[in-house]
Amino acid sequence: MITATGITKNYQRGAESFAALKGVSLNINEGDFICLLGPSGAGKTTLLNILGCMDAPADGDLVIAGQKVVTSGRRQLTDAKLDRFRRKHIGFIFTDFFLIPSLTALENVEMPLLWSGKPNRERAKELLASVNMDHRLNHRPTELSGGEMQRVAIARALVNNPRILLADEPTGNLDTKTRDTILDLFDHLNQQGLTIVLATHDHEIAERVTQVVRLNEGRLEG
Amino acid sequence: MGVWFGLAIKNLLRRPTRSILTILGVTIAIAVLYSLLQFQVNYEKGLKKELGALGAHVMVVPKGCPYEAATIVLHGGKWPRYMDEAVLEKVKSVPGIAQTAGIIMDAILDFEKNENRIFMGIDEDYPKIRGNWHVQGSWFTGAKDEIILGENVAKLEGLKVGDTYYLKEKDCSFKVIGILAATHSQDDGFYFLHRKTLQKVFDLPEKLVVILVKLADIEQADKVVAKIRTMDGNLNVFPLSELLSTVGNLVQSTNIFVLAIVFIAIAISAVGVLNTILMAVYERTKEIGMMKAVGASRSDIFKLIWLETLVVCTTGGLFGVGLALAFAKVIESFVRSALPYASRSEALIGLSLSDSLACVLFSVVLGLIAGWYPACHAASVKPMEAIRTE
Repeated sequence: MITATGITKNYQRGAESFAALKGVSLNINEGDFICLLGPSGAGKTTLLNILGCMDAPADGDLVIAGQKVVTSGRRQLTDAKLDRFRRKHIGFIFTDFFLIPSLTALENVEMPLLWSGKPNRERAKELLASVNMDHRLNHRPTELSGGEMQRVAIARALVNNPRILLADEPTGNLDTKTRDTILDLFDHLNQQGLTIVLATHDHEIAERVTQVVRLNEGRLEG
Repeated sequence: MGVWFGLAIKNLLRRPTRSILTILGVTIAIAVLYSLLQFQVNYEKGLKKELGALGAHVMVVPKGCPYEAATIVLHGGKWPRYMDEAVLEKVKSVPGIAQTAGIIMDAILDFEKNENRIFMGIDEDYPKIRGNWHVQGSWFTGAKDEIILGENVAKLEGLKVGDTYYLKEKDCSFKVIGILAATHSQDDGFYFLHRKTLQKVFDLPEKLVVILVKLADIEQADKVVAKIRTMDGNLNVFPLSELLSTVGNLVQSTNIFVLAIVFIAIAISAVGVLNTILMAVYERTKEIGMMKAVGASRSDIFKLIWLETLVVCTTGGLFGVGLALAFAKVIESFVRSALPYASRSEALIGLSLSDSLACVLFSVVLGLIAGWYPACHAASVKPMEAIRTE
C-alpha cells in the first residue's frame, strides 16, 4: 500500500540545517495497523506528513496505492492532482482535532465531501453514528469533550472513504479511558480493512497494533 | 453552491463586529454612488421638464447672472434687478415672436414660520405661454384686489374661491377669484396678482423682472436673440436650450469632481474589505492548513475566501442602495440647499432598477478585486507549515 525508500528531510533552524529524517525506508501493506513509536523530535510527525503527501522529502522515493508520488526527492504529481489523490486515498487525524469552531459536528464531518463536490449529509450522519456520536450531531466543538471531538475528527477523516488513515498522536490530549475508546475504534476500523499508521510516544498504544516502527533521531531502529 | 455560501457566511459571523463594520464601509460608499447616479439623471430630467413646462423659448432679464435669473423664474424669489416695462413693447415688435409675457416678482420671508411666499405679477399673456393653465373660478377682471392662488398655496392657507386673503406685511386684503388647477410645477406654490396690482402693492412701478418669449419658429432663435440684444445693451437675452446645456455642463463638471471623491471612498472601502479578509485568513491559517489536509484543494480554498469577500461586498451593495433610498429625502434636501437650480418637480433620488443593478454589480466587481489577494494568499498556504503555526 505504501512504499517509502530512503526518505530524507531537512529543516532550517536559523543558519543551521537540521536533518529530521535520515534515509528512512518503510513498507506498509494493505490492512496493516502500524505504530510509529519514538520520543519527541524523533521524526514521527515529519514521516507521517510525508506519507500523507502533505510534505515533500528532500530525497527518496514514495509510492502510495501504486501511484509514484515522489521519485528521487522530486514530486511526480501537480498540486491539483496531489490534492485529489490525498482526498481520495488518505484520511488525517491530528492531536488537536482541528475542528472548525463555527460548524457543528455534522457540518465538520460533511466538509471534506464539500471539497469533493458531493455534499452528503446522510453519509456524514452515518459516520457519526458509527463513532457513537449520533446524539451530538448539532453540537459545536466547544460543546464537546476531547474524546467526542476526536471521534468527530475520525468520522471526518473517514468521510471520503480513504484506504489509509494517518493519525498524529490522536490520543495525546485525551485521558486513559477515552484513549482506550478511541483505540478500540481504530481496532474496529482496521478489522474492516483500513490501513492505519499512527504516530505516538505512548508505549501502551504500541502494544495494541500489528507492527511497531521505532524512530529515533530521524532513523528507523531495529 | 448553497453549502458554500452557508460556510462563507458562518466564517464571517465568527467576527460579527468586524464583518458588520466592513459591510458598513461598502454600504456607505455604494449609497453615495447610487445617490450620485440618480442625481445626475434626475437633475437633468427635472430641469428639462421645468424648462419645457415654462413654455418659453427665450428669456429676457436685466443684466446680471443669467443663471440666478433663471432660478428666480423657475422657483420664484426676490431679485433686486429690474427693467422698465417699456422694454416689453420693444421686444414684442421684434419679428419672429409669437408670444411674450412680462413678469414682475417679489417675495416675503416669514421668519417665524421660515416660509418664503412668492408673489408673481402676470397678465393674460402668461397663461398663453404656459399652456397648461386651468383656473377654477375666474381670471383677473381689472379690480385691484384680486388674487389667484396656486393649488398648494390654497391648501396651505385653507382658502377657496370667494374667500379673502389678508397680506399682513402690506396691510392689504385680496379676494380669491381663482385657484390654479395642479400644474405639478413651481406655479402650484405661487400667489398670482395682476402685474399692475403687484407693481403697486410692492412699490415697483412699471418694472419687470423677466420677459418670457415664445418664438413662431424655434429655428429662428439665433436671429431673434441677436435682434433683441442689439436693441438694448442692458439686457441679458438667452435661449433656454443654451441655459439648459450651460447649467448641465456646470453640474456635469461638479459631478465628475464628486464622482472622483466617491471613487476614492470606494477604493478606501475596498482596502478595508481586503484588510478584513486578509486578517481573517491570517487568523485562520491553521484551519486552512487543516482543510487542505482533509481534502480541500487550492481552488477550494480560493473559492471559499473569494466567496466571503463577495458576500461582504454584495451585502454592502444591496444595503447601500437601500440606504440611499431610505435617506433619499434627507440627501435631497441637502443637495437642494446647495444647488438652487435643482428641479422641484422631479425627485432627485428615486428607485431605479438599472442604477440599483449597476451599483450591486459594481460592488460584486469590487469584491472580486478586493478578494483576489487574500484568496490567493489562502490558497497558497502549505498544510504542514500552517498546522505548525502557533
